[in-house]
This record gives sequence, C-alpha cells and structure tokens, in this order.
Amino acid sequence: MVRFENVGKRYGHGPEVLRDLTFRLMPGSFHFLTGPSGAGKTTLLKLMYLAQRPSSGDMEIFGQDIGKTRRRDLPPLRRRIGVVFQDFRLLDHLSALENVALPLRIAGARREQIEAHVAELLAWVGLAGQINAKPPTLSDGEKQRVAIARAVIGRPNLLLADEPTGNIDLAQGLRILHLFEELNKIGTTVVIATHDRSLITTFGRPELRLSNGELTLHKAPPVTLRETNPNETDASENGQRV
Amino acid sequence: MSSRRADLPLGGDATRRFVPLIVGAMVYLAALALAGTFALDSTVRQWSDSLHGVLTVQLPGVAQEPEGDEAQARIDATVGVLLETSGVLSATPLPYAQSQALLEPWLGAGDLPANLPIPIIVDVSVDTGARINYEQLGQQLEDVVPGARISDNGVFLSRLVTLARVVQLVGVVVVFIVAVAAVSIVVFATRAGMTSHRDTIELLHLIGARDNYIARRFVTHALSYGLAGGVLGLILAAVTLAALALAAQGVDQTLLPRLSLGLTAWVALLCVPLASALIAMITARMTVLRALRRLP
Repeated sequence: MVRFENVGKRYGHGPEVLRDLTFRLMPGSFHFLTGPSGAGKTTLLKLMYLAQRPSSGDMEIFGQDIGKTRRRDLPPLRRRIGVVFQDFRLLDHLSALENVALPLRIAGARREQIEAHVAELLAWVGLAGQINAKPPTLSDGEKQRVAIARAVIGRPNLLLADEPTGNIDLAQGLRILHLFEELNKIGTTVVIATHDRSLITTFGRPELRLSNGELTLHKAPPVTLRETNPNETDASENGQRV
Repeated sequence: MSSRRADLPLGGDATRRFVPLIVGAMVYLAALALAGTFALDSTVRQWSDSLHGVLTVQLPGVAQEPEGDEAQARIDATVGVLLETSGVLSATPLPYAQSQALLEPWLGAGDLPANLPIPIIVDVSVDTGARINYEQLGQQLEDVVPGARISDNGVFLSRLVTLARVVQLVGVVVVFIVAVAAVSIVVFATRAGMTSHRDTIELLHLIGARDNYIARRFVTHALSYGLAGGVLGLILAAVTLAALALAAQGVDQTLLPRLSLGLTAWVALLCVPLASALIAMITARMTVLRALRRLP
C-alpha cells in the first residue's frame, strides 16, 4: 500500500526534516502517527498524499513507484487517498454539501449519486441541518466534520488525517474514529496524526512515532475501552526503528 | 442542491470588472485598424487598375481661342506623333469643357477668363507589355509642340499606392500590437486569478483534479470576458464607422477617395470578437497549464 525506502525530505537548502525513513504500511492497516510538534508529521503526510516529492529515497503508493510515475498519472492515485487537513481547507464559497461533494465531482460522479451519498454522510456526522451552510458560518468542530466527510466520501483506499479530532469534543471524536474504523474494516488503510494519547489507548492501534526526523514503530497499547485488533504492519518490535 | 456552483469562483474577481473593458478597448482599436486597412485596400486596387497602361500628355493651352485652329493644330501634331509610336494604342484629347471642369475645385464654376491658357490634355492608352522610351517620345513631342510634357500618372499613382500600402501595413501592425497587448492582459488577469485562488487550486489538485479540470474553469472565464469585451468593442467600432461614413457624405469625392467596406471586410470585423474570445481562451489555458506544472 505504502512503502518508503530511505526517504529523506528537506526544503530548499534547509536541514533534513525527514531522514532516511524506511517503512511499509500493509493494505487495511490502521496506525496513529505521533511525535512532538515540528517532528515532521505533516511533512510525512504530505509525502503520502502526494503534495510533495521526497528529496531522496524511493516511495511507493499503491504499488506505483512515485519517483518514476509521470505527473499526469498522479491524479488517479490522489483520488484514492482521502485527506483530512489540519486547517480543514474548505472552500468558503461552497456549502457544506458542495464541499463534501467535491471529490465526487472531480471524479466525474453522476449528480444524483452525489446528492444521495453526500446528504447521508453529512447526516451521519451530525450536520444534517447544515448541509447548505457555508464554512464561515460553521464552528471549528463543524468545519472539521465537513472536512472529514469530504475525505471519506469517495471511500478512499488510503485515509490520512492530520489531527482530525483536535477541534471536536470527545464524543464526536470517538464517533469520527469509529467511522475511520468502519472504513478500515472494509479495507481502507488509515494513518491518523495526533497528539491525543487517549485516542491511542482507546483504540489500541500501533503507533508510528516520529522524532528528530526518524520513525519508530510502537505496538498497540492495551486498550482501555474496547478490544484491540491485530497489528497490521510488517514490523513488530516495540520501539523498533522502521 | 446547487452542485453546479463553480468550485473556482472566478466570476467574483476584480478582473471580472475591468478586463472586459480593456478587451473591449483593444477590440475597438483592432476593428478600426482593420476597417481602415480593408477600406484602403479597395481604393488601392482602383488606383492600381487605373495606372495600368494609361498616361497623359499635357500641351500648352491657347489663350483667347482655346478651341481654335492653333489649339487643334497642336492636338493633331501630338496625336500624330503618339499614334506613330509603337505600343501606343490610342490618343484621345480631352474636350475643353472637361478640362475646365477639372479646374472647378480650385477656380470655381462658371466661365473662366478668356486670357487664361488652359492646358490641353491628351489621354493616352498604351500596351502594358510594350517597352516605350518615354524620354525619346517626350523629345519628339517637344519638337512638334514646344512645351509639350508627358505626365507620367504611373509614377504619381505608384507613389500614392506605395503610401497607401505603408498605411495598410501600419494598420496590420496595429492589429498585431493590439493582439499582443490583449494576450498580455489575459496572462496578467489569469495569473492574478490563480494567485487569489491559490489555496482552492491547490486543494483541487490534491484531491485529484487534473490540470485540464482546473484550466477549464479559467478558459470558461476567459471565454466570457473575451466575448463580452469583444462584442462591446465591435459595437463601439461599428458606431464610429457609421459616424465616419455619415461625415464623409458631405465631402467632395474629387478631394478624397471613396472608402467603402466590402463583404469580406464586414465578415472580418464580425470575426474580431470571436478572435478576441479565442485568444483569451488559448492564452488562459496555456498560462494555467504552465503554472500548474510547478505543482508536484
């Protein structure tokens, strides 16, 4: 699904933000991505959602060597990736419904198909009454839920979320994480960048910990509220550098 | 559900207000330059046709008796020499009344003073393929009628035609410069649009939009302001041309050539707004695609 081989990333002539990362995410895996602020979590996610190319190393997404993939062949790959941006990135001139429908429109879905799915999903994330509201009139929590709905509307193969529960209450956060789990059960590979340790212990999923530009894998902690799932990565040792 | 709302709201940009006006001004200038070029073209063609195989011989007129024996003797001698010259097809003296009429714009209508020696004009048509030695012919005419002079219409008209062609070339250059300016404005407007919607473009790119999908939004926008500006400019140009035509009706046709536009010219003028829209679309598309290539 995702394979990094000695991947490094630096901006311009600055220091390396990510150094020599080597890891593999298997299809249908679920990971939390943690690390202190400035550790490079967002950069790592950007590489995975193809917003940037690595400065060094090899990167494969969906079995495609990104270094050798032509630029015009990248959009179909991007459509298979759902992203929840930390700053939401909603389009202020479009309604919540139109924002969520955007990936489907770009993919060329039929209008009736879009209407049915989008309204249903917005209702599911608790925004049934605000489908025509524009982002400037929504609270941060509501914007975040719209952003999450937009990320999952196309049933992506890979879901990347940058602090998806940062602006919503615990109950909503758990609800959203359960949605991610449901997607994961039907085969979506999920990576969630978070600072919230309670989520990690609640959901008992393995953790990719990023520190000083290096990545280590930590096995799933004992769950506190629910049953754990098997570890889905190809690395198994706690604290092992991946 | 208003799912047809543009994901790139280009219609609300500041460019939406001023670009059609600038494009309109460009189309206005281009249309006038084009109209001038076409109008001059038909005139130049008339001039060119008239200078083929025609020249004029001017003889000193006879005061007091402009149509008397002396005048007739000069005409006969001149016509005789001309008709004996190889390559001359005909030599026709202009009647005295017509010579008088030619002077009317300068000396006014009515009887001219009898002591005014009005030159005698002989129209000569020559075989365009013949090689006539005009210097020798001029000398022969001078021998039979002292003061006789060949007016080489060809030289005069060919200079006029050259001048007209230069003016036409200037018209074409004006159209070209206007087109380049229009392209620059569209590039500027498109880049401004891309800058003000950078976040939206980046988002569309990241969720899988192809470059063509994004470029189509700008092309549609460019089509709308290219057409709007084009139609506005053409209407203004048509009003200006109508006003010029109206003003020219009162002018003596002997002083100014009659300028008119043929069917081709009108078709070309109607194509100007379409051309402006096409230029705007192609330029916007190329500008957007080039800029998007910088994204990964």
